[in-house]
Amino acid sequence: MFLVADGVVLVVALDRVITILLNGLQQGAIYVLVAIGLSIILGTLKFVNFAHGALYLIGTYAGLLVTLQIQPTGGRLADWGYATLGLGWGFLAALVIVPVVVFVVGLLMERFVARPFYDRPDTDQILLTFGLAIVVQEVFKILFGGQSYNFARPAWASGPVHLPVVGAFPEWRLYVIGITAVVVVLVYALIEYTDFGLVVRAGTRDAEMVQLLGIKLSRPYLMVFGVGAALAGVAGVVGGPLYAVNPNIGTEVLVPSFLVVVIGGVGSITGAVLGGILIGETLAILVAVAPQWSQVGIYLLAAIVLLARPQGLLGTEEVAP
Amino acid sequence: MSDEPTETADAAEDGGAVVERTRRRFPSWSRAVESEWFVVGATTVAVALFPWLFARAPVVSDLLNGYQDLASLILIWGIFAMGFNLLLGYTGLLSFGHAAFWGGAAYAAGLFSTQVSSSPLLIVAAGTVFAALLAWVLGFVALRRGGIYFAILTLAFGQMMYYMALSPLSGITNGENGYTDVEVGQLFGSFHLRYPVPGLDWLLGTWQYVFVGAITVLCVALAYRVLNSPYGMVFRAIRENEQRAEFVGLNVWRYKLMAFIISGSLAGVAGSLFTIHGSYVPLESLYWTTSGEVVIMAVLGGVGSLFGPILGAGLYLYVENITSGIRELTVPLTDVVLLDGFGAYWHLILGLVFVAVIVLFPRGIWGLFRDVAAGIRRLGGGRR
Repeated sequence: MFLVADGVVLVVALDRVITILLNGLQQGAIYVLVAIGLSIILGTLKFVNFAHGALYLIGTYAGLLVTLQIQPTGGRLADWGYATLGLGWGFLAALVIVPVVVFVVGLLMERFVARPFYDRPDTDQILLTFGLAIVVQEVFKILFGGQSYNFARPAWASGPVHLPVVGAFPEWRLYVIGITAVVVVLVYALIEYTDFGLVVRAGTRDAEMVQLLGIKLSRPYLMVFGVGAALAGVAGVVGGPLYAVNPNIGTEVLVPSFLVVVIGGVGSITGAVLGGILIGETLAILVAVAPQWSQVGIYLLAAIVLLARPQGLLGTEEVAP
Repeated sequence: MSDEPTETADAAEDGGAVVERTRRRFPSWSRAVESEWFVVGATTVAVALFPWLFARAPVVSDLLNGYQDLASLILIWGIFAMGFNLLLGYTGLLSFGHAAFWGGAAYAAGLFSTQVSSSPLLIVAAGTVFAALLAWVLGFVALRRGGIYFAILTLAFGQMMYYMALSPLSGITNGENGYTDVEVGQLFGSFHLRYPVPGLDWLLGTWQYVFVGAITVLCVALAYRVLNSPYGMVFRAIRENEQRAEFVGLNVWRYKLMAFIISGSLAGVAGSLFTIHGSYVPLESLYWTTSGEVVIMAVLGGVGSLFGPILGAGLYLYVENITSGIRELTVPLTDVVLLDGFGAYWHLILGLVFVAVIVLFPRGIWGLFRDVAAGIRRLGGGRR
């Protein structure tokens, strides 16, 4: 353990502590990116998107195909004679192209899936998006096969980097934290400091009043959905090289991200960031201290937060339905 | 059964029905269909004929390609889906964590069979009690928030149970491999569940089916009684308008908790039977895909009707086990199917049908049947 007062041990332990905290930050970063999209869509449009994990899934596979060239094995694409697939344009290209692609997917989803269901009950929205998530997952499973693909980290960031105190740390994880931080700041600025953000925030408070003032909300709502989807796409691209790529990753990332939203508070970007970091750190610390409890721990954390503060840490009562 | 709040059992006892009866000597067909005796009787007959029709009848079974073991599995999942639907269809609460009760009861039943007693009845009782207590605890927390939060929270708690069984409790649950030490004894100390029923094996098959079938009928009777009691009326009132129910002076939270516990207990009955059926508890029985499957079954079959979800369970399992050409009776998503033709697509097709049902027929297949039946009756000049 690291709580030893002896000087030498403390130094050795400190780097371990910081490594754990950095790992937690990186783990949390992916959840933050997915959760912000979930949270703003839920907060402004009052739409529950169980298919948000599918957007992450699309982002990861799109990222894989733009970055590398893969040999599909086991799926229908292989049967149909596609020996190699993918553009192989490298990671930076993926980081630009994929969010745009997933943004468009998000727009289509808002227009054709979400909008007809705004007036239906919550349960119907959940059921519909749950069904959609299954369909997307199955399509990927059929096309690419159920096995995992290796999303290799780009060569310029694949090795360890030497940090002061910490020592060797995987460089890619630092990039994930950095990219996430930049994207989160951009989205925060978009919502807090632009006219578009003002309309969105006003619509969150009182959609009817905004419309009475002569502002059409359907377009800002479309944008919110698109931006939320694009964030899931970014998460898919930066998260892809961290884990194996297979059709189940979408739902695997969705459940913790929902916890992040619930812990942070619906509709709050800072809440999603706080919740994501909390979940990520909890996971990382428990993995280091008591690995068998790591997954259970995040659910316990969510339960405790909800019992103590049902609207989430930074949520407001009136936004929550 | 009908959903109209006015046509309940207690309404039939008072004034209106007496007037009706003086005018007509016999209760009308539609009223007889609604009576509890008819529902229970019809369920018994259907459950008794089902394995024969499914697995052994001359022409039908050749077409269906069914087998005895799947017949009991369909009933087991049918109980699960029916219990789930008490919550979704009748109280308006969508739980994504019913795997916790199904799988939790399955593990409890399995452990009970090794540690305490291998009597099938006691195993089911133990599993059910465990599920009821678990539902009480989880419901207490999850029901603090309504709507979407409820779905997310139940999902989260279900996953928590899964991860508990996976590693911290792996000493008891045998972790990833599932619980394999299940011991199933003889029913009442004399009927071996694997043996055929003497004289009636052409109809019912094994004692196991008799056991599962009897419990199914019991569960249907229980659910029907609950839903048509004033107590069940309150569930529907909450579904229709929670605020109004609250203003009328009902303790909505308590009724919701009770609906959750009843629903969880039925899931527990089914989960315990699943343990007896397979003599094995797979870890996936706690995974959220199990919750997802029961959601699909209930919605496909038709929420808002008692028998719709049972039909949905049958359809789902039929497609999963027969149409897809997979021989193993396992939870899907566990191994990747790379068969030619329909085999690889069955899950996708079920997903598409599921989406279509939600968009086009929110009342599911059962609702569709009822609409068709009503249409035919109208064509025939009958009064509906």
